[in-house]
Amino acid sequence: MYAVRHIALNVFKESVRDRVLYSLVAFAALLIGGSFLIGQLTAGSDMKIIKDLGLAAIATFGLLIAVFIGIGLVWKEVERRSIYGLLSKPVRRHEFIVGKYAGLALTLLVNVAMMTAAFYLVLAFMDTQFPENVRAIWPAPAVDPGMLRAIALIVVELLLVTALALFFSTFSSPFLSAGLTVGLWVIGHFNADLRNFEAVVDSRTAASFARALYYVLPNFAAFDIKTQVVHALPVPASYLITTTAYGLVYVALLLTGAVVIFGRRDFK
Amino acid sequence: MDAIRTEALTKHYRVGFWRPRPYVALDALTIDVRQGEVFGFLGPNGAGKTTTLKLLMQLIYPTSGRAEILGRPVGDVKVRRRIGYLPENPYFYDHLTAEELLAYFASLFGYAGAERRRRVASFLDEVGIGAERRLQLRKFSKGMLQRVGIAQAIVNDPEVLFFDEPMSGLDPLGRREIRQLILRLRDRGCTVFFSSHVLSDAETLCSRVAILAGGRLVASGHLSTLLAFQVQGWELVMTGLMDAALERAKKVGQVVRATPLGPQRYALELPTTVAPDRVLSDLTAAGAQLVSLTPVRETLEDYFVRQVAEAPRDRGLEVSRSHVRR
Amino acid sequence: MSRSALVLILVLSAGVIGLQAVHERRGGPLAAATENFLYVQSPEAMQRLALSYDALLADLYWIRAVQHFGSTRLSQDPNKQYDLLYPLLDLTTSLDPRFRLAYLLGAIFLSEPPPGGPGRADLAIALLEKGRRADPREWQYPLSIGFVHYWWRQDYQEAAAWFLRAADLPKAPEWLRPLAATTLAQGGSRESSRVLWRQILDTAEVNYLRSEAMRRLDQLDAMDQLDALRAAVNAYRDRFGASPDGWEDLRRAGYLRGNPVDPTGTPYRFADGTVSLDATSPLHPLPTEPVRLR
Repeated sequence: MYAVRHIALNVFKESVRDRVLYSLVAFAALLIGGSFLIGQLTAGSDMKIIKDLGLAAIATFGLLIAVFIGIGLVWKEVERRSIYGLLSKPVRRHEFIVGKYAGLALTLLVNVAMMTAAFYLVLAFMDTQFPENVRAIWPAPAVDPGMLRAIALIVVELLLVTALALFFSTFSSPFLSAGLTVGLWVIGHFNADLRNFEAVVDSRTAASFARALYYVLPNFAAFDIKTQVVHALPVPASYLITTTAYGLVYVALLLTGAVVIFGRRDFK
Repeated sequence: MDAIRTEALTKHYRVGFWRPRPYVALDALTIDVRQGEVFGFLGPNGAGKTTTLKLLMQLIYPTSGRAEILGRPVGDVKVRRRIGYLPENPYFYDHLTAEELLAYFASLFGYAGAERRRRVASFLDEVGIGAERRLQLRKFSKGMLQRVGIAQAIVNDPEVLFFDEPMSGLDPLGRREIRQLILRLRDRGCTVFFSSHVLSDAETLCSRVAILAGGRLVASGHLSTLLAFQVQGWELVMTGLMDAALERAKKVGQVVRATPLGPQRYALELPTTVAPDRVLSDLTAAGAQLVSLTPVRETLEDYFVRQVAEAPRDRGLEVSRSHVRR
Repeated sequence: MSRSALVLILVLSAGVIGLQAVHERRGGPLAAATENFLYVQSPEAMQRLALSYDALLADLYWIRAVQHFGSTRLSQDPNKQYDLLYPLLDLTTSLDPRFRLAYLLGAIFLSEPPPGGPGRADLAIALLEKGRRADPREWQYPLSIGFVHYWWRQDYQEAAAWFLRAADLPKAPEWLRPLAATTLAQGGSRESSRVLWRQILDTAEVNYLRSEAMRRLDQLDAMDQLDALRAAVNAYRDRFGASPDGWEDLRRAGYLRGNPVDPTGTPYRFADGTVSLDATSPLHPLPTEPVRLR
């Protein structure tokens, strides 16, 4: 299985040398760093805004990275024909798909880690800016390790987005893949509203259809516990476990689909 | 065991979106390539050569028929350890250097550490890539990319090599180097299967060829048999030839035509019916000296053009009804 | 596709759907449970953010408003807070000022007294006024405002005034003007109430409104039935000098046939000489008797 490892490392190397990635990461770092400036603007700088902004930045830029690199993962190799050289080596087609995915997952992990480190640095700095009595009434400390749970779920969410982008990349062009992936991400966030459709819609068929979609479409809203951790509200461990399991099983499903589609393709 | 073997290998495509019609890219190709030989796979553009190579690499799947490499069906991943492939107009990864690309591919075979480094260095040397090996591939010229392509095809010391237009993009010096490389590989025991539309390369390198046209095999076999060793005549160049001797030879029918090359120096065309040694001894007795004696044969190009011109043009599986009715 | 790939896909799909079902059973996304604040409070800001998707966002907020109302009603919390209801309705109608259903049904949600609703008739009227500003020629808005005054506040003067305003608008139904006159003259009556609820029933766009209107009409019928039963009891008392012991006595005396049930089929209670609606009936509790002015 070393083919998977080497393909993954190649993807990682390629992303590191990709200028798009650099600009995204730089921008994210800027945003996180600048969030404390935004905090200064609102009278009585609110730690909540900084935390919210930081978590949102990590989630958003992670999403952009996942989509931008994910949509080209397979398509670029097929379009430019570098796949000819690769598949003539002792590499099975499914190893190619898994390797590509692992490479992008690795890239994401490294990037999220960097952004998280920047985030905590800013929080640590901000912590020194507030007097003791203000700090005492915060629901959670500034440098709160509890936020790592939200970041962990963000990582699972990004892994799912990546799997989606990769899946579409096996059979459609980058534009279409990007559109479909982002579209499903948006719908997945309004997932709860799909469930409540029957409260406002009279037609039984429409309500049943909405309910079916609720079960089948990826439920991205479930990964969002940013509110909880910022307010130091409890998050049951079982919730973290089931939601993570959901994400990973969905990833496995999408990768299997990608392998099946990719396995039968003719590379003209 | 043959190095490569196909049996009625066929590939149809469906062309068109609303009413797809079949397009025959390859029609029942049956060939075999023995181990250790250099085999030329020839044909005009669009004949199906690249399709065949892709079917052998399992980049595309056959509509029917089978193919084997070294006795194993083409899909077998283990066989890929023992083969190398150079695609047509190769593109590898822009962002890697030549060294990194070779190291990447070498790692896919399981080579690591010092062994990998050794292979990368020696095969880059062999194809003539020097200090440029540290440059990113996006800075390479076409000819250099071709060399890198060959290097990555041989990095695992393969037993069978598949080259798709190996000389394309190379200048005459480059072509010569690659020709010599192919001969070196043959001497090491490799089987080289290459497709080309440049016939002179095939003539100098190959022992056997197959000619493809319109998706069908139109001829295959040893070069010498194909050309039927048709000696169409002889060309005798002699100096010191007196006019009288020449006239006598012409009258007797030993010489068809004499082209003067200089004072008393002629290129004489002899008919096939006459044994050249007889003419030679006659003329030498008359005082002339031999410069050269060359058989005149049909070239591969003549043969090729003849075969291809006769090949059917229609690539569709069925003629549409409306045409027939008319 | 190979058999093993197909099996794998089926198993994983089942896993995905199963885990989503587990998630659903546990109450859905955690964020929804703590939706006790809205990130964007200001409708103006929301309008700017919405770009060209106002109508769609209005629908989304409407779904959330309905869901908020429904889930708070159904929850076991003894201290039900409907805090988000008005802000959500305000956002919905700011994004789509012509969203008639949101105004009308939203007003009914807001007026509903606790524990079934927040009991904020004032907010309901404010919402309807907003609708009226957006669409001054729509007769349903002043009618609904009049209705809120009539049914929830028992302010019959105001109610009549609003009925008149509604009657002046184009396409207003003909019974509005006589209703206004009756209300002004006599105050509340069951007949007027029937007319109003019947109008809601006839024009209801959603099941909820329809069933609510039918329930109210059934309640009014029940009130009539209770009157008849009480009259029978009094007649019995006058005749026999003592209260009946139960429906048996009334039946034997000829005042009743069979066991009296309310329009939902729940039997009426007879205890200590008084007739009343059974507390388990869906019609319980009955609305306050419309007050006659004269």
